[in-house]
Amino acid sequence: MTDRQDLPLQHEVTLLELVDRVLNKGVVLSGDITLSVAGVDLVYVGLRLLLASAGTVDRLNGSNGARELEASGSRS
Amino acid sequence: MISALEIDPEAKTRPLWYVYGVVPGDLIPGDESEWPSVGRAGDVELVREGALAALASPVAPSEFDQPSLESRLREASWLEEKIRAHEQVLELVLGHSPVVPFRFCTVYRSREALRAFLSEHRSELEATLERISGKVERGVKAFADRNRLAQATMATTEDSVVEGRSGGRAYLEGRLAEQRNKEEIERMAMELVEKVHARLDQEAEESTFLPPQTRDVSGRPDDMLMNAAYLVEAESPGLEHALADLRRDLGPLGIAFELTGPWPPYNFVPGELA
Repeated sequence: MTDRQDLPLQHEVTLLELVDRVLNKGVVLSGDITLSVAGVDLVYVGLRLLLASAGTVDRLNGSNGARELEASGSRS
Repeated sequence: MISALEIDPEAKTRPLWYVYGVVPGDLIPGDESEWPSVGRAGDVELVREGALAALASPVAPSEFDQPSLESRLREASWLEEKIRAHEQVLELVLGHSPVVPFRFCTVYRSREALRAFLSEHRSELEATLERISGKVERGVKAFADRNRLAQATMATTEDSVVEGRSGGRAYLEGRLAEQRNKEEIERMAMELVEKVHARLDQEAEESTFLPPQTRDVSGRPDDMLMNAAYLVEAESPGLEHALADLRRDLGPLGIAFELTGPWPPYNFVPGELA
């Protein structure tokens, strides 16, 4: 395997690692403006374009990130 | 519900405050002009309240108020740029201070609202900072080449494959052997994960399993057996050493490992503050 082949792949994986953490983990909410459930769906629309990988998006949609946002979003 | 805009016409242009995370208030940042930002380059501030500070950027409502955000989130390039900036800011701090990472796109209407939040959640934020102080998150994934695992399990199932028969019976026995072999591979994979995790966990303060990624996501041809995160001492090489041992022991079985991080401890902070 050459470096040339590795690069685009590495770029994608790293971004995905980031997305997994930045979007699904970390302290959530208590902000005045936060990602609502609709917002989270939109992130996945963006991600679909970004990663062009339906598997990624389906898996992310299946995670409990959106549910947590929904639960805390009703609190204000 | 009356929106802020209706009662305050200036709200449309006044900056909002995007929060990356929370750090101890006595953190002395480096050259802030060098900082990446989800807003303008270099525009990262420490908004202090008591013993805490939020790492935050003033951002334009035209990008980050609710309606704008919803359309921006569809833009792949915008999304990637902001997600990377969010992480880069946290990583700059990670080297010399504990930081409680926040989820992407946590935005306050004003500096005052942000400070009120810090004050309100002071005890939980301080306790979390103390718990993660000096520690970082590392990600470890284990991959298996199923064919090589199958070969390794062959020895145990070979006896049941009867050679030299033909017809339906041979077919049936072949299928049974195949099924047993498949179960054997699964059992072996589970044992491997337990063994790997037990070894790595010895080097960690805390740990958590994440859902394994599919091949599409991992970008690798082999199966992800394990996807885990470990909270470890930032300066300790323990996890790397354990991983080196595991690579040496399990490499011949076709097991490969991927180490990521150091990350801000995304997986080791409370999802929701009380």
